[in-house]
Amino acid sequence: MGKTLFEKIWDSHVVVEKQNGPSLIYVDRHLVHEVTSPQAFDGLRVNKRKVRRTDLTIATMDHNVPTNNRALPILDQTSAVQIRTLEKNCKDFGIKLFDINSPNQGIVHVIGPQLGITLPGSTIVCGDSHTSTHGAFGALAFGIGTSDVEHVLASQTLWLEKPKPFEIRIEGKRKNPHAVTAKDIVLSIIKNIGTGGGTGTIIEYRGQGITDLSMEQRMTICNMSIEAGARAGLIAPDEQTFDYLRGRQYTPKNYESLVDYWKESLKTDNDAKFEKQYTLHIDNIAPQVSWGTNPGMTCDVTESVPSPDEFSKGDPNQKKGAEKALDYMDLKPGTPITDIKIDRVFIGSCTNARLEDLIEASKVIKEQKISTNVRAMVVPGSQMVKKQAEEMGLDKIFINANFEWRESGCSMCLGMNPDILSPGERCASTSNRNFEGRQGTGGRTHLVSPVMAAAAAIKGHFVDVRELDLK
Amino acid sequence: MKGNIIKYAQDNIDTDVIIPGQYLKVHDYAELATHAMEGLDPDFHSKVKEGDFILAGKNFGCGSSREHAPIALSHSGIKAILALSFARIFYRNAVDGAFLLPIEIDKDAYDGISEGDEIEIILSTNEIKNITKNQTYKMKPFSEIIGKIIAAGGLFKYKPDQD
Repeated sequence: MGKTLFEKIWDSHVVVEKQNGPSLIYVDRHLVHEVTSPQAFDGLRVNKRKVRRTDLTIATMDHNVPTNNRALPILDQTSAVQIRTLEKNCKDFGIKLFDINSPNQGIVHVIGPQLGITLPGSTIVCGDSHTSTHGAFGALAFGIGTSDVEHVLASQTLWLEKPKPFEIRIEGKRKNPHAVTAKDIVLSIIKNIGTGGGTGTIIEYRGQGITDLSMEQRMTICNMSIEAGARAGLIAPDEQTFDYLRGRQYTPKNYESLVDYWKESLKTDNDAKFEKQYTLHIDNIAPQVSWGTNPGMTCDVTESVPSPDEFSKGDPNQKKGAEKALDYMDLKPGTPITDIKIDRVFIGSCTNARLEDLIEASKVIKEQKISTNVRAMVVPGSQMVKKQAEEMGLDKIFINANFEWRESGCSMCLGMNPDILSPGERCASTSNRNFEGRQGTGGRTHLVSPVMAAAAAIKGHFVDVRELDLK
Repeated sequence: MKGNIIKYAQDNIDTDVIIPGQYLKVHDYAELATHAMEGLDPDFHSKVKEGDFILAGKNFGCGSSREHAPIALSHSGIKAILALSFARIFYRNAVDGAFLLPIEIDKDAYDGISEGDEIEIILSTNEIKNITKNQTYKMKPFSEIIGKIIAAGGLFKYKPDQD
């Protein structure tokens, strides 16, 4: 019987295989940031261990970094300590660090692919659940906790129970790909299979709806695999993948011979078997807006906020969850999504802050200003994205519309730096999680695509971007 | 292992409510514990006692990979989470550091156990005894290696060579 792409990558990285238990897997790339690594480095010190492969370990700071003027000191002392601790740990253990002043600094999942560190067929881990982003390149990439970070630092390996392969087919063609985006595809998937729909699996996204997407759009899809509960998501590499990585700063010297090997080896066999399957037809899907407090609580922009009964389909816990979510979000069932007024807009995060996201969002503006009731910010995913966007003049388009144009980092996706919502504020956000308090205590998050967020900033409420001219 | 239940009859309790992002800069575990479950139940810290168990629905611990979540719960005194299912990174983090036992239960246990019930977890027979109600339920056995890591006291104390 044939093998899936995931099984092929897995087999090529097994160091020790155990019957009825986890296998020891080799890790090709270990990405490190300042939040989930300090205790891991402390553990190495206590046990007098070194970092086994400093050449395969790359660090940056992204979660805590302020996104205002980088020349100013960091006011939050606990953030400053966490950032300085990473600097010290990288120096002590000999790890390459892209620090706060580096032109390569950025959200770890944005800079990996941009620098050519992310490669097809490789295994990539990071103490961050959105490591699944790198799966867009046909890498097996997943998030780990701090104990596992320590284990990988010390041994370059990880004990892992083999997840099950899950095929998600995206079929059809979007009528308006500028208005209906990769974000809307992945939110539709999570809405349909649920936040636990992928638990214990590695999703392989396949079909025309996937191969039609650019690399940056594929990253948006793989990024949110974790929101469906999957360990990782991946997409078989193709010419687009190879073109994207060609000639980047850390792309290997023998790249073309690697491409020949990848073309041969990195695809699911025709007779391979998936444990689970789901198909989404995208010909007629609408822009999506989350209304609740997990990414599965999402509906079309043309719909109204559902009642807990409609949403739960008879499951008492789902009903209770929806009631609680509506209470937290201060929404009434039956309210049209387009009637929901917003206070804040956040265009950023590892889900949607790459160059293409900013280009698409800027097309909505067309010399308009944001609504006087809205405060909106653009936080590019990396300093490189910021520079490229500025070279194209995108910063001026956003600034002229009264958006704040900021330095890169995780920012308001998770509220660890000063970019947070105040209690009760409602935000159209291009990030990945609408959990209670995620963007600041009492803050209310609606997950949307970059174009939907930009349009909401201008109108002051959600609009169906299919009605706009986005050429 | 005996303890009393704190029940949250809901699915998808995420790591952002277990320990909100603003506290991920806190490295003192005792202080971290004072903020455990703050996003869901601000009274948690005042009501939790050493040795308590949490009972919850499906997909407990979904979201972020922050190990701060099981650490904050463990340092609050929580010894086990009984849930219908777990998000995988949380489950793994809980086991890796031997912070607390992630125990998968079935619908009978979930419905049968109430807030405040005194429970005994019997790992040798994979049973959960409700002392308050005089009922017994099954728990899903740990896989062999997870059981060994737990018995060893965490990933770094477990020595696979001895198998």
